[in-house]
Amino acid sequence: MPSAAFTWSGVRRGFVAAGAMAANSAVYGLIFGALAAQAGFDLVAAAAMSAIVYAGGAQVASLQIWANPIPLLAVWATTFAVNARYILQSASLRPWLGGGKPLRTYASLFTLSDAGWALALKRWQTEPPDGGFLFGTGAAQYLPWVLGTVAGHIVGNRIGSPETYGLDFIFPAFFAAMAAGLWKKRSDIGPIVVGAGTALLAERWIPCAWSLVVGGLAGSLVGVFANGRKP
Amino acid sequence: MAANPEIWIAIAGMALVSYACRAGGYFAMGLVRMTPRVEGWLAAMPSALVAAILARTLASAGPVEIAGVAAAFLVARFLGGDFAGMIAGIGAVAVLRSIGA
Repeated sequence: MPSAAFTWSGVRRGFVAAGAMAANSAVYGLIFGALAAQAGFDLVAAAAMSAIVYAGGAQVASLQIWANPIPLLAVWATTFAVNARYILQSASLRPWLGGGKPLRTYASLFTLSDAGWALALKRWQTEPPDGGFLFGTGAAQYLPWVLGTVAGHIVGNRIGSPETYGLDFIFPAFFAAMAAGLWKKRSDIGPIVVGAGTALLAERWIPCAWSLVVGGLAGSLVGVFANGRKP
Repeated sequence: MAANPEIWIAIAGMALVSYACRAGGYFAMGLVRMTPRVEGWLAAMPSALVAAILARTLASAGPVEIAGVAAAFLVARFLGGDFAGMIAGIGAVAVLRSIGA
């Protein structure tokens, strides 16, 4: 296992690599901010939620069930369901970051994002692992997310529809492009087919956030039987 | 609702749950011995999870979004890198929608 470095040059490269996703964070932040205003959040609460929860999907989903009094357990359970995929993502980072300083690694993991995770794992196929890169990808998306929330809360419903410019499509387009880089080996076919198939099947019976977790878990188990492969 | 302290309890709980997810998998894998099988499992995670994400996108997508995913994938694979692919996908969707496809 290589001992993980954490360099400022890595932070900078991660920041640049996730630059395009910063636009996505800003757009998504605007949407969340506007929704939060509608749900009765004051500006400070909306901004604080984005700053310390930092999980767009979970925040938007929890607004769907927000009520007075707040259904705390349901809100937390929803947050867990939408974020459970991060458990799988952070598990897959262990072989790469395991040798790093714990405090720095656990601080970096606060900024873990779907895009940063995918960018880092793809990058580390060709470069030595650098925990700074992962942190940089998170940092690039963090400020646009929080500032987007603030702007969305202030502007509210006066935002035009992002669909016109295809801005709602940033996330799918990003993952389609990542797939082109990640799916290279013949041994990837099993995890891809099982992962996609299981997610689609699972979606018929369980909420969509869970179907991702089930798909990722089932697909990755194929790798258990591909013996002797290095990550 | 703004004056309600309950909102801060809700937000704090959401923050704890989110961080527990982000750090939890990494932490748990520290308790497991890294055998070739465990490494194979973790190495297959990106392909499987990205496949699940895209499958869900495509399942609820119309022809325009399917064309956008295809454009992003093909451009990233055969022409430029991730960024070019992403722009191609977003551009394809924007153009197709503007011509009313």
